[in-house]
Amino acid sequence: MHKTLKSAVVVFVGSLVAASCATNAPQDTWQPKGPNAKLIDDLQQPVFAVAGIIGLIVAAAVTYTVIKYRDRGQPIPEQTHGKPALEITLTVIPALILAVVAVFTFGAIFKLAKTDDTEMIINVTGQQWWWEYDYPVQNEFGITSPIISSGQLVMPVGTKVLLRETSRDVIHSYWIPALNGKRDAVPGRVQTLRLEADEPGIYAGQCTEFCGLSHANMRMEAVALSKEDFAKWVANQQAPYVVPAKDSLAQQGETVFLNQCVRCHQVNGLMRADGTPAIAAPDENVWSGAAPNLSHLMSRNTFAGAAFDLLSKKCRDEVWGAPSNVVGAKYLAGVTEDCLNQKDLRAWLRNAPEMKPMYANPADLEISNGKYRGMPYLALSEDDINKLVAYLLTLK
Amino acid sequence: MAIIERPAPTVPAVVTPTSTYGVLKRPVSATGWRSWVFTVDHKKIGIMYGATAMFFFIVGGVEALLIRLQLAAPNGKVLNADLYNQMFTMHATTMVFLFVMPMAAAFANYFVPLQIGARDVAFPRLNAFSFWALLFGGIFLNLAWFLGGAADGGWFMYAPNSGPVFSPTNGVDFWALGLQITGIASLAGAINLIITVLNMRAPGMSLMKMPIFTWMITVVQFLLLFAVPVITVALFLLSFQRNFGARFFDVAAGADPLLWQHLFWIFGHPEVYILILPSFGIISEVLPVFSRKPLFGYPFVVFSGAAIGFVGWGVWAHHMFASGLGPVSVAVFSLTTMAIAVPTGVKIINWTLTMWGGKLWFTTAMKFAIGLIVLFTVGGLSGVTHSVAPSDTQQTDTYYIVAHFHYVLFGGAVLGIFSGFYYWWPKVFGKMLNEKLGSWNFWLMIIGLNLTFGPMHILGLQGQPRRMYRWTEARAGEGFFNLAFWNMIASIGSFILTTGILMFLINVWVTWRNPKKAPLDPWDARSLEWMTTNPPKEHNFDVIPTVHHLDEFFHRKYEEDATTHTMKQVATAEELMAEQERNADKHIHMPSPSYWPIVLAFALPIITFGIIYSYLISVVGGVIVLFAAYGWALESSTAPDSDFENNTPGTALAIHD
Repeated sequence: MHKTLKSAVVVFVGSLVAASCATNAPQDTWQPKGPNAKLIDDLQQPVFAVAGIIGLIVAAAVTYTVIKYRDRGQPIPEQTHGKPALEITLTVIPALILAVVAVFTFGAIFKLAKTDDTEMIINVTGQQWWWEYDYPVQNEFGITSPIISSGQLVMPVGTKVLLRETSRDVIHSYWIPALNGKRDAVPGRVQTLRLEADEPGIYAGQCTEFCGLSHANMRMEAVALSKEDFAKWVANQQAPYVVPAKDSLAQQGETVFLNQCVRCHQVNGLMRADGTPAIAAPDENVWSGAAPNLSHLMSRNTFAGAAFDLLSKKCRDEVWGAPSNVVGAKYLAGVTEDCLNQKDLRAWLRNAPEMKPMYANPADLEISNGKYRGMPYLALSEDDINKLVAYLLTLK
Repeated sequence: MAIIERPAPTVPAVVTPTSTYGVLKRPVSATGWRSWVFTVDHKKIGIMYGATAMFFFIVGGVEALLIRLQLAAPNGKVLNADLYNQMFTMHATTMVFLFVMPMAAAFANYFVPLQIGARDVAFPRLNAFSFWALLFGGIFLNLAWFLGGAADGGWFMYAPNSGPVFSPTNGVDFWALGLQITGIASLAGAINLIITVLNMRAPGMSLMKMPIFTWMITVVQFLLLFAVPVITVALFLLSFQRNFGARFFDVAAGADPLLWQHLFWIFGHPEVYILILPSFGIISEVLPVFSRKPLFGYPFVVFSGAAIGFVGWGVWAHHMFASGLGPVSVAVFSLTTMAIAVPTGVKIINWTLTMWGGKLWFTTAMKFAIGLIVLFTVGGLSGVTHSVAPSDTQQTDTYYIVAHFHYVLFGGAVLGIFSGFYYWWPKVFGKMLNEKLGSWNFWLMIIGLNLTFGPMHILGLQGQPRRMYRWTEARAGEGFFNLAFWNMIASIGSFILTTGILMFLINVWVTWRNPKKAPLDPWDARSLEWMTTNPPKEHNFDVIPTVHHLDEFFHRKYEEDATTHTMKQVATAEELMAEQERNADKHIHMPSPSYWPIVLAFALPIITFGIIYSYLISVVGGVIVLFAAYGWALESSTAPDSDFENNTPGTALAIHD
């Protein structure tokens, strides 16, 4: 009887806890999708359980005491001052529990700090308020020239990836909960974080070290692709620049881009009218000295520090909701014209600081020597915006 | 109960000193605002500390409500990003430095001298200076709201985000300099209380017969004494970086921004114990009184408090598990953090065992104390979960941490403070707070705080980071109990919590209006502060008691039957009071009021204001400091007897009868 009651209580409490949580919260820390996060989860679940049980014991003990010894007119109790033996016992028990926890914790700390089994390196640089990914040459993955991307970290599954993190301005923190805990990106330091995904999929993350005005809008996603799909992605990233068709809207957009955007944003292979390569100079215009490289922009699903979707809601849901065996193909399809989130992209081009607060008002930039932190208002005409959108769509 | 005739209370009379001391004549008012502004009486200073802290509690509370309004729904529009960042920075700064710390100082100021049988603190003018420096520092900090925007870097103010480029308003300057001023207040207060406790205890009161509240306050003062200088150094570096072009945290100049984190948390972690230990002390007084039993394992509670005070210095880097310290440091700080859970656990066990076998009287003070035991335990246990460093790398900077420290600080520190309000209100104001409103106060706060902070555990574990001015539905998950639901519940909870606190304010008002006086010993209490009138006379005790027991007052009222071990009442509080008044000391010379503490304190924000705007203003402040220090130095702490010879006995300044 007591046993059934007990198990009923356990089931009830357990289901209460389970039911009170969101399903499929993209940043759930209790749903590991890779060995590093799994290691943490295996360590923390028993700790949560023990902590929960101790909490219940304390609450029960207090409740029992409060009911049993309430004033019912009993005489003033004997003025006992304590029982040292009992107290020492009750001190030693929690100390022993914690000693056991410590042993397992130590093991996990050192496993998570390992770097000698690394199979792939990606350099990750934080700046206000986006992440840049720099894939150094790694021939075994087909990376024969460096790939520079932003917002979405693309990586092969079943591969021990080591992020080498740093920052160009303030401290940021890289966090993909499904794959591992956080690691701060500190200017002047290079710090490492292991990532490995078991299954293809898109794993959400968020900058978690307060980094100023638009901290809330500094997101990221890790896209894990099968090794074959990753090879395709690498090949596409290294594909040469495609000049827009002559006399197309996109070609006019390229001119607008050269006039306005190339001050900060690099597109690899883009040439000026005089035949010289267009080299962006973000160091002259932006405090951090960097702006997202927009080569192959439409191979990413998000823009502006992963704060906004490049895909329309419908197309986005299709990619995110895809089962692991087809998510790679859907992702590699990139952003086509009918899937483009025109509304947000246009709003961004119209007035970026209004969508994402940034220090971009020229009047306030005395202290930063006129350099922006974030993208300024460019006063583009609707006509220019149409041309630019058409051009950006060609950056497959 | 016998009615005991007591002498009519003496009416304080205005005394005019016959001579000038140093620069100015002494202030003399015994009534009116002057009697408060120039007072050096630890009790008046304690009340002013309490009122100031309560004011800032309301300010910080309004900031919290704005935060919860903004986060109630996705893409909140109540505050913009800039204002939100200022709001959470100032909410934490206000609650930590301008509410909990001064409120603890209020209790410490008022009750430590009373509990140790002293007539004032060791340095009464320094005590007044501490208070005024705190008040002016707090006002200075908040001036930034009206002068271009408050600090926006978070209360932890990590470099380099706190630097001049990344935080271009003057907010961080006001923050850093304002905290320097409140730091001066804390340091002066700490030294004062340490010396008071070490030197001014009543005869017979050995350290192990000292009331536990005074013990915890003493531990806190030592923590302050060593922790405040660390933040002072850090704040100087920050101010030099911002105001004088220094490059302590400038990576381009070869600096490492982690320097700030180490300095901040070497202060910041002991600070956590500075916030919580006074409340531990309060409920360690309240629980025995309303259990009618001594504190279980008093030496264990004392030594665990002291142990927390020591180990508290070795855990700071657990705030930095994601900073990249390297596995060895992380392992060490993981272990020390687990270790500090042990003395904290000892306290919870001792409180529970204090109630065990008692005769429990559920006054509002007792309810808050029991609430603390349970809710602090929740915060303590979630603390243990992130002492597991790998686990912490998932939890840190999420709402799980927000839940954790609000259970510790609201469920712990604040509930303890409210317990203290209800317990000591009759002592301080001579009237009992209404118990019925107290019950509403308690239950609304308990429900409100669990609804506000409970769901934050779920929000954090499901991945909602802190310090985001808006959150997006895209990361909120699916199902009815998604993160949107819990954000809404937390926001609703915060308004229930506010209603609970409003009940307290209503209670204060109702009590104020109620003419009914409190009995002399309403709780049948145990420690010395109850062995005097409500409120205490200016000189606290007519006779300095000689102490034979821990819980001296209780043992003067009750004696144990040697064979049956039952307690038998041998005297009432009224009888003990009457006896004291009969034997009153003939010559009690209290410290005299002074102008200098407030003048000196007022000069500090003038200096710091000048650092931001014009050094000329600083010079003016500096001159005032020198002038005030000169006047202070030439003034004896107590007016000589000759000043009082022709005056009425029983004045506010001295008693001769």
